[in-house]
Amino acid sequence: MKLARKLACAALILTVAAGALFAGGSSQTSSTGSPLDSIKAHGVLRVGVKSDVPGFGLLNPDRGLYEGMEIELSKLIAKEIFGDASKIAFTPVTAKTRGPLLDNGDIDFVIATFTVTEERKLTYNFSSIYYTDGVGILAKKAAGYTSLKDLDGKTFGVAQSATSRAAIQEGADKIGVKVSFAEFATYPEIKAALDSGRVDAFSVDKAILRGYLDDTVFLLPDTFAPQPYGVATKLNNKALAAWVDGLIVKWLADGTVAGLIKQFNLQ
Amino acid sequence: MNGPFAALRWVFLWRDKSAFLEGFGMTILVSLGALLLALALGIIFGLFSTSAKKALKGIARVFVEFFQNTPLVVQVFFVYNALPYVGIKLDVFSIGMLCVGIYHGAYVSEVVRAGITSIPRGQMDAARSQGFSYLQAMRYIILPQTVTIVLPPLANQAVNLIKNTSVLALIAGGDLMYRADSWASNGTLSYGPAYIVTGLLYFLLCFPMVTWARRHEVKIKNRDIQAHPAEGAAAGGAK
Repeated sequence: MKLARKLACAALILTVAAGALFAGGSSQTSSTGSPLDSIKAHGVLRVGVKSDVPGFGLLNPDRGLYEGMEIELSKLIAKEIFGDASKIAFTPVTAKTRGPLLDNGDIDFVIATFTVTEERKLTYNFSSIYYTDGVGILAKKAAGYTSLKDLDGKTFGVAQSATSRAAIQEGADKIGVKVSFAEFATYPEIKAALDSGRVDAFSVDKAILRGYLDDTVFLLPDTFAPQPYGVATKLNNKALAAWVDGLIVKWLADGTVAGLIKQFNLQ
Repeated sequence: MNGPFAALRWVFLWRDKSAFLEGFGMTILVSLGALLLALALGIIFGLFSTSAKKALKGIARVFVEFFQNTPLVVQVFFVYNALPYVGIKLDVFSIGMLCVGIYHGAYVSEVVRAGITSIPRGQMDAARSQGFSYLQAMRYIILPQTVTIVLPPLANQAVNLIKNTSVLALIAGGDLMYRADSWASNGTLSYGPAYIVTGLLYFLLCFPMVTWARRHEVKIKNRDIQAHPAEGAAAGGAK
């Protein structure tokens, strides 16, 4: 009896605490004035980028520098703000961490192979599309798969917070193939699971998969669900989103983006 | 939907509550299996470590030290990703039960050892002089007396065990934490409510146990002190 009362009490306290959090975290007024004020106050542009995707965002272990198309885009934005491309602080993100980091204000932009979807637009602002990729399948050469059809009843390793799961599911439904999924926080974990035979295929955007090619695995020819990438900003900062979108639109028109795609062989 | 805790996100969570409930069920099942295993191992190795035989003592020590001094995550990753290379491929449910069970078995064995050594030496001598064998003395005289002593620390172990099953989230284990994480990071990205609700569900499992253990401990203390016989009797009599 006493225990029941105590439990009820504890549950109530927790609910109130959760409510307080919920109220505290729900709204934040963005400062008036230029959308760039808060960035300038930090003195550097803080961008969330991938550190393990060749051609987009790769932390080169030999030189300790970030390389890739999205890194160059970030530098261009820093140049627009500070007139100096080196005034930039990169934060390595994963599909899972990029959203929360944006929400809590640790970073100003996410430029990290972030696929734009209608559902995600409810949570973040996205700029115009600077690149479109597709979801691919990486499998062991020894397995001898030729297309998704051969993967009936198999398990796909996908990243948490990635769009791959929905894309593969849709592709499988179309041809009447049953697939199951195992989700992991990072790409290296999925690769480890593929190597040990825990999953039969590793599925994510093709650009990312190319970074995991080795002697034992290959990319299937199939491509699923186009994955349009955009620059993401915090939802309540509409002014900043509009400003960065203006830049991307401009760079799309004047060939800057096309030049970067060419420079990093991403056609 | 401004912010990670926007009202609409709670609505989405309620719509997809089945994912959380399935995960909750899995967590309970894994916890039960692991708990039984931990108790069995704990009693066996607890008896080993209090026996007079050096070899048994040694085995128990090695077992306890190995599992107490390596992280559970390392053990789980090893079984999940390394053992398949030598042809041992357990499913995630078994991995959860085995790894969490063995890990906590080491801790439970220490609890049992402490319980047995807390019983005065004279009890064993008296039992042996009455013609009980070592095992009989343990079974009928010593262990029954340790039960009330070890229950509170055992409850704490059970709580830690339940919380530690969340390590399965790292190997796509389908438990509560994995399902919550999966839901939080797909579709609407409503991670705020997801983790609050998940925390509450774990709390619902653990809090009653801790509370019971604490009250039981007080009861034992009162009974031992016997400072106020009337109160002690009341506490002992209240069920």
